[in-house]
Amino acid sequence: MSAQAKVAPTRPVGPDYRAESQKPAATVSTPVDFDTVTVLPQTPQLIALLSIIRNKNTDRGDFIFYSNRIIRLLVEEGLNHLPTVEHTVTTPVGRPYDGLLFQGKICGVSIMRAGEAMEQGLRDCCRSVRIGKILIQRDEETAQPKLFYDKLPEDIADRWVLLLDPMFATGGSAIMAVEVLMSRGVPEERILFLNLIASPEGIKNFATKFPKLRVVTAFVDQGLDEKNYIIPGLGDFGDRYYTR
Amino acid sequence: MDGSAEAVEPVGSGEAGGTIAMRAHYAPPWADVSIIGLAGSSGSGKSTLSQAIVNKLNLPWVVILSIDSFYKTLDPDSHKAAFRNEYDFDSPDAIDFDVLVDKLRDLKAGKRAEIPIYSFEKHARIDRTTAIYSPHVIVLEGIFALYDPRVLELLDMKIFCEADADTCLSRRIMRDVRDRGRDIDGIVKQWFSFVKPNFQKYVDPQREVADIIVPRGVENHVAMSMVVQFIERKLMEKSTHHRAALKSLDVGAQSEPLSKKVIILAQTSQLRGMNTIIRDIDTSSEDFIFYFDRFAALLVEQALNNVPFLPATITTPPGHTYAGLRPRGEVSAVIVLRGGAALETGLKRVLHDCKTGRILIQNSVRTGEPELHFLVLPPDISKHEAVILLDTQMSSGGSALMAVQVLVDHGVKPDRIVLATYGAGRMGLHRLTTAFPDLTVVMGNMTRDVEERWVEKRYFRC
Repeated sequence: MSAQAKVAPTRPVGPDYRAESQKPAATVSTPVDFDTVTVLPQTPQLIALLSIIRNKNTDRGDFIFYSNRIIRLLVEEGLNHLPTVEHTVTTPVGRPYDGLLFQGKICGVSIMRAGEAMEQGLRDCCRSVRIGKILIQRDEETAQPKLFYDKLPEDIADRWVLLLDPMFATGGSAIMAVEVLMSRGVPEERILFLNLIASPEGIKNFATKFPKLRVVTAFVDQGLDEKNYIIPGLGDFGDRYYTR
Repeated sequence: MDGSAEAVEPVGSGEAGGTIAMRAHYAPPWADVSIIGLAGSSGSGKSTLSQAIVNKLNLPWVVILSIDSFYKTLDPDSHKAAFRNEYDFDSPDAIDFDVLVDKLRDLKAGKRAEIPIYSFEKHARIDRTTAIYSPHVIVLEGIFALYDPRVLELLDMKIFCEADADTCLSRRIMRDVRDRGRDIDGIVKQWFSFVKPNFQKYVDPQREVADIIVPRGVENHVAMSMVVQFIERKLMEKSTHHRAALKSLDVGAQSEPLSKKVIILAQTSQLRGMNTIIRDIDTSSEDFIFYFDRFAALLVEQALNNVPFLPATITTPPGHTYAGLRPRGEVSAVIVLRGGAALETGLKRVLHDCKTGRILIQNSVRTGEPELHFLVLPPDISKHEAVILLDTQMSSGGSALMAVQVLVDHGVKPDRIVLATYGAGRMGLHRLTTAFPDLTVVMGNMTRDVEERWVEKRYFRC
């Protein structure tokens, strides 16, 4: 990633019927060049939600409520990538409706612990969804991510997997999680990685390594700092959601 | 004003770009309220007769307005005199006709009116007021209901209630002792020094302007039926006008493009998938409610993109700044019952603690015309930056027009209203956006022009 990409784009945000001068300006998601990456529409409401959860003065109750709202939007968008078939039904007023039926079974897999914070949002959209867990931690000696634990549905190879981790920095843990999933027989193209805030570096790493895997994010931030934290980011998601 | 929509007139839409939008006038059925004046001597049975008329009409939109509410607040000297029963309450000077005329004109224009409350024990107006809003008929009763020429101009029917003086005096004694905390000496003193002379001088001459003179009050069944029939005919005419007014908003419904401020949710595969489940008559109630709530949350999220935002720079925990946004002010919701309540779970998922008003509008079985039955709004609603108005379905647009009009009458500007609805037809949308071009509509699906309200039936399972 080149150094120029560190300038975040700022532009007026708002519905189409408003003139540019009537829209407030805000920093929006940094553009990315990969077809497999879907960034949620940069609506004023999404920007306002992100502003709340990024704000260091937001208390835990609000942090949980507003991040859940974004997570639901991510899940709704993620589900759009599942296969469907045409299906016509009869409506209560006795007319046909040409609709769609979802094909394929899904499951969630959360990368512990922050990813587990996204399970509620997933359940809000998909009742009784199966959810697997993966624990990956940095090895003290090698400073590399290491798999400590996983518990996944047995038939995971037959399912679409929504991989959950809110902060997508370098993508080290996510890459390892994908490798675990692939080792259990899940094809790359059936994995959807849902996250709230991504870095351009992480996205590039990932898209190069897994060109068929889809990423759905709410926002691509301007970059990473020397410690590989996302800038401007929102701090430690797990801490803010669970313990701080 | 005749309650019908006037010819379409061009008006600047107020939006940037200075486009000229065609704006038509919408008059709710409570604009041009019918006002019946009912005068007569003290104790002649005006209140009883008014009450009997209201009971006989048996409609929620008939209110009795007593001229007694408009007694002037007394200055200290008059106040003392009043407690000695030496103040002349039975002279027209005791009534604040200016305020009465103002309030009647507001009501005639379809606006909300705050009516003062007068305390007979304290001889003063109290701090509170009673709000009157959206009546179709007002019975104005009081000894001087037919006195002020400005009031006479506003009356649709003028009644003078007649009774002999003995009956009047005995009724007055009974009422003032029972309801107004007076003693008999005072009442009799007042009768002979004020009530009787004033009757001859001011009250009795009002017969001259009356349309009908009713002797024997409520016992006079012929007169009662005449009055009730007159009002019923007036209401029918009004209902016909209102429906004609709705029709006249249809011009161009099929040919003109939809307003730019009508937003239909993107028909993604997920949305269509949810719609398929929601619309399938064979879907279980559990699934219907689950998927409808999910749909509703998305609808409200989309509606909120249309509220005003301001730039807001915040600092993240690591100390970086982010140029984001925050809502400009309070956003509240108003639910159009019963349908809108099906969207409430979705609303609370998105705005968990927003103030929520409720309006019950139902279509009359008799005429098919929407009728306003119940209304509670947040008291500070006119200060809110945006109001999300929720209803599940809009076909003719009649109830949506009425709901928007109610909000406008309570000080909410149309450009601050976002109507969120599961489905709407082209006709209803056209009517609504022609009457209120600054209104934003966010909807889940385009439906046929006329569709039964099946969503609320499925959601509430009855």
